[in-house]
Amino acid sequence: MNASRDASAGVFPIMAAVGALGVVASYFVAEPARFWANWLVWFIFVLTIGVGCLFIVALGHLVAARWSVPIRRAPERLSGLVLLALPMGLIALLSLPVLYPWTRPEAALKPAIAGKAPWLNVPFFSIRVLICFALWMLAYNIFTRGSLKQDKTRDPAFSLRARGFAPAFMFIFAFSITLVAFDWISSLEPEWYSDIFGVYLFAGTFLAGLAASALLVINLMERGRLPGVRNDHLYSLGGFMFAFTVFWSYIGFAQYMLLWYGNMPEEIFWYKQRIEGPWLNVILLLAVVHFFVPFFALVPKDRKNDPRSLRWIALLVLSAHFLDLYWLIVPVVGAKPPLSWPELSFALCFIGLGMLWVRRSMTMGADMPIGDPLLQEGLEFRS
Amino acid sequence: MSDRTFAVVGLFHNATDLMAAIPRVRAYRLGTVEAYTPYPIHGIEAALGLRRSPLGGMVMLAGILGCVTALFFQWWMSAVDYPLVVGGKALFSWQAFVPIMFEVTVLFATFTAGLGMLLLLNKLPFFGHPMLSSQAIASVTRDKFALAVEADNGTLDVEAAKTALRAAGASALEVLFVPAEEPISLQSQFRTGAGILLSCAVAGYVMYWAIKLFPVVPPMVHMEDQPRLDAQRASAFFKDGHGMQQPVEGTVARGQLPYLIKTPFEAGEKLVNPLPRSGPVLQQGRVVWNQHCGVCHGALGNGVPMLTAAYGAKPANLLVPPIRDYPDGKFYHTIMVGKNAMPSYAADLTEDERWAVIDYVRALQRAQNAKDEDFK
Repeated sequence: MNASRDASAGVFPIMAAVGALGVVASYFVAEPARFWANWLVWFIFVLTIGVGCLFIVALGHLVAARWSVPIRRAPERLSGLVLLALPMGLIALLSLPVLYPWTRPEAALKPAIAGKAPWLNVPFFSIRVLICFALWMLAYNIFTRGSLKQDKTRDPAFSLRARGFAPAFMFIFAFSITLVAFDWISSLEPEWYSDIFGVYLFAGTFLAGLAASALLVINLMERGRLPGVRNDHLYSLGGFMFAFTVFWSYIGFAQYMLLWYGNMPEEIFWYKQRIEGPWLNVILLLAVVHFFVPFFALVPKDRKNDPRSLRWIALLVLSAHFLDLYWLIVPVVGAKPPLSWPELSFALCFIGLGMLWVRRSMTMGADMPIGDPLLQEGLEFRS
Repeated sequence: MSDRTFAVVGLFHNATDLMAAIPRVRAYRLGTVEAYTPYPIHGIEAALGLRRSPLGGMVMLAGILGCVTALFFQWWMSAVDYPLVVGGKALFSWQAFVPIMFEVTVLFATFTAGLGMLLLLNKLPFFGHPMLSSQAIASVTRDKFALAVEADNGTLDVEAAKTALRAAGASALEVLFVPAEEPISLQSQFRTGAGILLSCAVAGYVMYWAIKLFPVVPPMVHMEDQPRLDAQRASAFFKDGHGMQQPVEGTVARGQLPYLIKTPFEAGEKLVNPLPRSGPVLQQGRVVWNQHCGVCHGALGNGVPMLTAAYGAKPANLLVPPIRDYPDGKFYHTIMVGKNAMPSYAADLTEDERWAVIDYVRALQRAQNAKDEDFK
């Protein structure tokens, strides 16, 4: 067991290194739009896992939840992915002239885009990105760093401070995740608009955070590092995943149905290029892996209780969130979903990097928030 | 009260004691061990060894049934029984069906959950539970926790059950007997149900005739019932009793010149387009075309529109001879009196609009049959 774990520890640096070589090569060989679209997908993917985990932590503090306290260290550690996403996001700013039509001079000729110029311009866009990152890092400092400090000090005052900051973070989160959706994704096609799009990305973000946290919790449970955490806690995580699988589908379908009904040229073109040709296969696959399979898999109680089942479902949900982002972003590059060595290199590179990042964060503090006064109550939780 | 024992009941002071006692009492294997508590206790189903409720599976099946039912009904209504094109969408538009499918899924699932739990699994209505007439029930509904050893197949070793409960820490032991007869028999339940149905029927019948024979207060006022004079209706306001009045003799209403021409040929010869083919006139003509004409004749005037699939009639192509070469007056006549399946548009368009749209038709024709000098 130990030997195999050490072997897997060596895999991630190799993955990241090989992938990074491929990423660099694709920067010089592949067309720029494809490179940057891939970059954007991975940036948003890493970012949404991190921010989704921040949201899970804040939600626990907000309602003073007991059940989530013993497993809270998992989302706290994963929220460190926001720090990994920071350099990725700053580099992604270089994609603005390549991917975003509103940065080009001819945008001034289209009234629909020119009218949005006060909002969609490079300086203001960059400022918004920086503000969002500053707010997330503030939340990371308060929630995660504070919780790590509480491990040593056992100071219950932190729990009250976190509870006080959580409502403010809810506003920050709603504001920033909507900006991510509107700025980074929706403005790839600046003529298009959909009010609900921010909520759609929120649903995916929360799901991604839940799935990643569930994976980490199950991993630690199997290695015996979370004594006292039971399947009841997994059941609640699974219940959340079930609820937000339905929520994501509800929002996604609501957006589609309204635009389909209206059939207005300035709105429907966005869906046309995402459901026609080979992209139809992608959205059908998305419906299967993001709704049908997780929905029916998570209905029975045993499936939510059982670590082995829940791990596969969480892995599926996380992959489905990635496919969701791929389907949202990459169609601007072309009518054919690109899948070749550049995409595989990106996957290798960022999965390797992300796993290294998470492994490193596993050394932060104890495996449970041992300083939290609610920990004992959380361990006694029965679903 | 019969002499058949139903159960032996003992009381506990808190949930922890109760949970500790359950496995100890169950270990005696005297009968079914059942708990009565003032609030739900986590983990008690596992402790009592209750079987998994089949309700989840029932709800799942009912949900799927509801989903399929809604899909089938909407397909049958919209695509088979009464096919009607709405908004230019296909008859079978699954996108529009999904909200109803969702609703009916939830409806079937919740009804199954509620009624399945109460009627099938809890076996309600059931009024004669012996626990309800016990001494313990007063405490159980307040602050005490009861554990009962219930008779399996009508047999129970009462003394052994008492010993088991006492050993597990229960107090205020009590023996419950099966009631001689159910307090409310099946017969009386049936009578009550029939009585309710009968009262409903009688009340409905009486109300129907009361409203019909003594219309003091109308049961509901529809929006169409308004103190308003409808077209083509009589009115006592005027002496001749007509709601609509003839124009005063020898006068013409503004913009309502009588159209006296009888044939298209006469119109072609006599009528002259008074409007110049200027920018504003063509703009006005385009608006009229898109609002009234283009729906059938197509945006280009070539008779290939968006919506003909629903009608079957073939609108005229205005771009080819002989229609292309008609004089303006002949077009005007068609607008005024209609032609074939096309109705008259006299009431929809003003004099200026009619002539402006004819100018716009000329522009459409020229656009598709451009002359050499147009390209210079």
